[in-house]
Amino acid sequence: MKKTILAIGFITAIIAVVLAVTPLYKISIIPTLIAIICGVVALYLSLKEKSKPKSIQYVMVIAVLSLTIFIYKTVVDKNEIGNTEELNKREQDNLNESKEILDDIEIDEEF
Amino acid sequence: MKIPFSLLLFLVTYINVAQRNTTIAPGEKLVFTASYNMSGLMTDLAQVTMETSVVNTSKTTLMRLKCTATTYKKWDDFFKIRDLYESYVNPKSLTSYLYNRDISEGGYYKFMQYKYSPKTGLVKSLKRKKRKDGSLWEEKTSFKIDENTRDLVTTLYHIRNLDIHKAQVGDSQDFSVLFDNKVTVVTLTYLKKETLNTKIGNKECYKLAVALKGTNLLKGKNENLIWLTADKNKIPVLAKFKIPVGNGELKIDSAEGTKY
Repeated sequence: MKKTILAIGFITAIIAVVLAVTPLYKISIIPTLIAIICGVVALYLSLKEKSKPKSIQYVMVIAVLSLTIFIYKTVVDKNEIGNTEELNKREQDNLNESKEILDDIEIDEEF
Repeated sequence: MKIPFSLLLFLVTYINVAQRNTTIAPGEKLVFTASYNMSGLMTDLAQVTMETSVVNTSKTTLMRLKCTATTYKKWDDFFKIRDLYESYVNPKSLTSYLYNRDISEGGYYKFMQYKYSPKTGLVKSLKRKKRKDGSLWEEKTSFKIDENTRDLVTTLYHIRNLDIHKAQVGDSQDFSVLFDNKVTVVTLTYLKKETLNTKIGNKECYKLAVALKGTNLLKGKNENLIWLTADKNKIPVLAKFKIPVGNGELKIDSAEGTKY
């Protein structure tokens, strides 16, 4: 039982860290919480069995690490637009081409 | 059967008033944030802008309605989007003469152009796509549309010109939208008035439901919604959509240069 919980804790903690460093960091909170819950349950079982909680510490450290990255990114992360040079060029090219086309189009409406 | 002159006059006046642009002015810029629901958490993906400007040709002055979508920097390495949609319209009636759709989405490139002839209803379409080797191929077609069929960009601005204040709750209207050389019917239903807290302030809004006829692109009943401010500008402040692969929303960030 304890081993299964620890295995789940390890896997979710590692998934959480991987997600936390990607732009999908918001999702990392779900595996982080699962890892922390697994860690707490494993710790409770370990204290009951009076065994060493060494591996539980690793799960908790990884989970806290992902939680720290999540909090840091939530505070610091801003929505920034990337390079739009190519889009601006396409916009200008389209505008120039459109003006030429519109010069040839017959517009008989009243303005 | 003789039609009374007064009725004829009313009809002509009504049609003219209905088609007149009273909301959109050049120099308007609306900025939105597009978000997508990932595992229950709304994640900001892209910036969407809607801009209007004056375009002078040798013959006349037109209004350019431009919409762009740009993914945020953090997403560019995963899926870079740089989309441009634009329409060149008569500033008084919003009749479109030229439409361009120039999209670049994660390596996929497509260009669509419609040259309209409003008098005859003829549309000359040009499709340009990129092959796997990077070379381009073109396809030219022409077809006829009726006078109430508009492209996507013009439809978005046309909706803002509707007299929603005259509508009753539950009223709906169909719009024919030309997209990818096909005409799709979009139904808008007026649901109710709602006050929303937005980045441009607390706004009383018209809540409208959007539905597409003959396609499963939008899911659910009354789950695809758009809120337009209940003032003369009718600014779209929020849109929520549900598609087969998830749901998302479009929220306003700023609104500049509005007419009123």
